[in-house]
Amino acid sequence: MKKTIAAIALLLGSTGIASAEGELFLYNWGNYTSPDLIKKFEEKYDVKVTITDFDSNDTALAKIEAGGAGFDLAVPSAGFVGIYAEKGLIQKLDHARLPNIKNIAPEWVDVAWDKGREYSIPWQWGSTGVSVNTKDYSGDINTSSIFMDPPAELQGKINVIPEMGDVMALATMWAGGDVCSEDPEVMKKVRDALMAAKPKWMSMDYSTVEKMTNHDYAATVDWNGSGLRSRLANPDVKWGFPKEGYGLWMDNVVLLSDAKNVDNAYLFMDFIMDPENAAMLSAFARYANGISGSEAFMPADMKDAPELVPPAEFANLGQFVTVCTGKALEYQNAIWTELQK
Amino acid sequence: MAEQRRHFSAADIPGFGLTAMAVFVALYLPIVTLVVYSFNASASVAEWGGLSLDWYRKAAGNAEVLNATANSLIIASLAALFSTTLATLAALGTTRRAPFRGMTAVYAAINQPLMVPEIVTAVALLVVTAALKQATGYTGLGYLVMAHTAFCIPFAYLPIRARLEGMDLSFETAAADLYASDWQVFRHVTLPLLLPGILAGAMLAFVTSLDDVVITEFIKSPGQDTLPTYMLGQLRRAMTPDVNAISSMLMGVTILMLFAFFLLTRKKA
Repeated sequence: MKKTIAAIALLLGSTGIASAEGELFLYNWGNYTSPDLIKKFEEKYDVKVTITDFDSNDTALAKIEAGGAGFDLAVPSAGFVGIYAEKGLIQKLDHARLPNIKNIAPEWVDVAWDKGREYSIPWQWGSTGVSVNTKDYSGDINTSSIFMDPPAELQGKINVIPEMGDVMALATMWAGGDVCSEDPEVMKKVRDALMAAKPKWMSMDYSTVEKMTNHDYAATVDWNGSGLRSRLANPDVKWGFPKEGYGLWMDNVVLLSDAKNVDNAYLFMDFIMDPENAAMLSAFARYANGISGSEAFMPADMKDAPELVPPAEFANLGQFVTVCTGKALEYQNAIWTELQK
Repeated sequence: MAEQRRHFSAADIPGFGLTAMAVFVALYLPIVTLVVYSFNASASVAEWGGLSLDWYRKAAGNAEVLNATANSLIIASLAALFSTTLATLAALGTTRRAPFRGMTAVYAAINQPLMVPEIVTAVALLVVTAALKQATGYTGLGYLVMAHTAFCIPFAYLPIRARLEGMDLSFETAAADLYASDWQVFRHVTLPLLLPGILAGAMLAFVTSLDDVVITEFIKSPGQDTLPTYMLGQLRRAMTPDVNAISSMLMGVTILMLFAFFLLTRKKA
């Protein structure tokens, strides 16, 4: 019995006292961090990296806000960086310690949620748009009309991902408003168009990659990383950036105020802004990284992937999808509820 | 009337067999599908591509999965051990004595984790553990073991108490009549008779701990993902069949335990 107690004590203690030198604690979305990249970093700097998963921005924020969470770096989405900064949960970055910060692509430096990248650096970014099987439909696919006003060829074979924020953002932009529009006229148009379109859809489901690949769906609203995987498995599938406006998201690395391994955190942030390493992140997560020059190191099947980066003519049409508040959220909830009936 | 009632059997209700079958199919078909697809050669979670053990190999070679499995098993074993010990004492204290004032309150307190929504417990524990982590600097598995022990107690307590209530007091009275000391009565009469209840309680506690997501997600320290929180983390991104493989193995452990429990209790009973 004594032995058992000693063993238990040892076991419980072991993870507690391990805050020796050469550690880094990263708090990130699950299945999002390239193991090869971590291995490379660990070998280069002799730092042991511990990754812990979170499943939503809210959980991550709640844990970090409670204090004592023990993480050095976290990867919140764009809309949450400002909240972290406001609450004093993250520290301003010393750009002198991040020589690779010059590699951030110009369009990702002065971002709305963090002007001049004072607090955060890019991790991965992507967009919401439409994936279409070009065997079924040869018309223009760079439009949200694919699902808002489906062409005859696609009717009854369309899927829409059941994500309120992303779908409502596309629908609102299609109707001529901004994400989180509070304009009753726009929202009326959104509601009427969605209700009219719904009978022409087949389903509202997440398993888009398989069903686009197998040609169970002719078109779907999707994230571009899934669009890329569908196309790789079935070359008939093409990605469309809706010209009425498409959704954008970006996850960003932030340095927590109570980080204990600040030096290693800087090393890691600088490390992932090296184009070759940024490409390793993308190779695993299948999204773009916002680092100039990383294209050269991308795996062959992602190098010129049309899904990852919008063509020049559409470059300015994306809007960041945020969690709406107030009247805008009320409209969205009401329309979404009606849509689910 | 009394005659009739004695012979009444649920199986005589029209449609009983059909309903029972439908319920079993609804309960087990998804699980069977999951196990079958864990042996799928194709990379899809829903499309069959031939038989293969690749996903088991992939899961076994994934350091994060191994770490999460180890965490899950350590936490569940310790939580089951501690909660069953406490629950046994609580069950003895609430049945093998004259009823006392406030007994109902004690029941309610013991079973509190069953009544309070899990998210409330999780947030409360988050606040307390965050303060403790900052004050002590200790961030080990202890917090998770403590929290799991707390919410596993009612799951261990209920079967043990049920067993105690069903046990005839005359054995213990007889032993005491023959000059057995309190400890001897407990050691040679109560405990052996109670063992099936204790084992059932421990199993329930183990499985409950193994299954927990919400509380674990809130109070885990860095590197303390358990299998369920690891799997939840996968969902936002592309799901691959190694999640099926992990689930199947998790279920395998549960079934093995169930089997062991049956063998154990059959011998004792």
